[in-house]
Amino acid sequence: MTEISRKQPSETEDPHWIEWATGIFSAVLVVGMIGWVGVEAVVEEDQPPEFGIAITGGNAIAGGYRVEFEIANRATRTAAAVVVRGEILDQGKAVEDAEVTFDYVPAQSKSSGAMLFSAEPGQREVRIRAVGYSDP
Amino acid sequence: MGSVAAEGGLREEPRSFLIGLGRGAAGAMLFGIPMLMTMELWQLGFYIERYRLFLLLVANIPLLVLLADRVGFERTSTWREAWRDATIAYALGIVMSAAILALFGDIKLDTPFSEMLGKIAIQAVPASIGALLGRSQLGGSSGDDEEDDEAEEADEKDEDKGDGGDAVPDQLSTSYSRELFLMAVGALFLNLNVAPTEEVILISYKMTPWHALATIFVSIAIMHGFVYAVAFKGTHELPEDTPWWHAFFRFTLPGYIVAMAISLYVLWTFGRLDDTAPTQMLMSAIVLAFPGAIGAAAARLML
Repeated sequence: MTEISRKQPSETEDPHWIEWATGIFSAVLVVGMIGWVGVEAVVEEDQPPEFGIAITGGNAIAGGYRVEFEIANRATRTAAAVVVRGEILDQGKAVEDAEVTFDYVPAQSKSSGAMLFSAEPGQREVRIRAVGYSDP
Repeated sequence: MGSVAAEGGLREEPRSFLIGLGRGAAGAMLFGIPMLMTMELWQLGFYIERYRLFLLLVANIPLLVLLADRVGFERTSTWREAWRDATIAYALGIVMSAAILALFGDIKLDTPFSEMLGKIAIQAVPASIGALLGRSQLGGSSGDDEEDDEAEEADEKDEDKGDGGDAVPDQLSTSYSRELFLMAVGALFLNLNVAPTEEVILISYKMTPWHALATIFVSIAIMHGFVYAVAFKGTHELPEDTPWWHAFFRFTLPGYIVAMAISLYVLWTFGRLDDTAPTQMLMSAIVLAFPGAIGAAAARLML
């Protein structure tokens, strides 16, 4: 469609005030955004990924038991391919383990997942920890 | 052009209506094929949260209507026609998505209904935009078409007096909001192409804030350059005595904000912002706003 551009090849010389208002509002937003990222660029230190894992729930499922958890990355660098291993400990000895891989755990963000065990842990301790990651 | 619009009018031959449908289908295919062949979008079809998909599908309706009204047949359009065109475009988008997904074996007869529905629905949005764009972009520019349109326009004016379509509101602000709207459509279109892929978030993870700053500046520069500097067909010219920064403030910066907003919306729709820190959200939005800015600028030129 070239009709439109043929009809209005040039911007109007006498713009409505609303155009300026939008322009100024947008400029403020853009400057704010640049400022935000700029502050991050200057202030942010480069920390290697650091994980905290919290178990958020568990319930019986068909043929086993599900333990849901959240993994948080407190650092400013994102981790990729994060392998998380969960173990059911019986008096300090692992009786069952399960493993899950997260594609990404972004910086200062959380991801969630679940471990599927074949038996309910009951009183036994469940230990979940990240065992490795790669840089994206 | 104008063939689909003439659906109701028995005077137009059915053949031209079919040609219009064909153009729409071609457009849906042309603009939709990159997404129809993207694995992540198939997967999104079944794991996207249903209320987000619903919102996207609903938001697509006014978008198509506005697009049909302002782009399709600008000179002949009434709201009734715009609705009709939008409906046809949406339907074409759905049919073409279903047909092509079936052709690729991505949906089969034994696919669960909800998965099938999700896959087709999510693809139908870009395909329907493509159908409308295809109709306007692939439409012949020959003299007969124009005459047809003008004749039709006259007809419509006779039929639809006082139908709202001919009430011309404040020309100035209308064309400004149209520019912003077109930029939003362009940004949305390229975003839908790019956003489902994992690369967007991967790039945002690889980038440092310095890269992000550079991306913002480059995006804005490209937007401005596309429209005002590089002499594409449809390039907007500034009146001689207007300094360059007038257009920069009135069009380019709002356009970039529009592209950012659309990027955030698309990322949210695809669940890319869940449980993510604000800085990370901003980073991925900046990454996605880069193609968005190109799309927005291109839309101002092409539509």
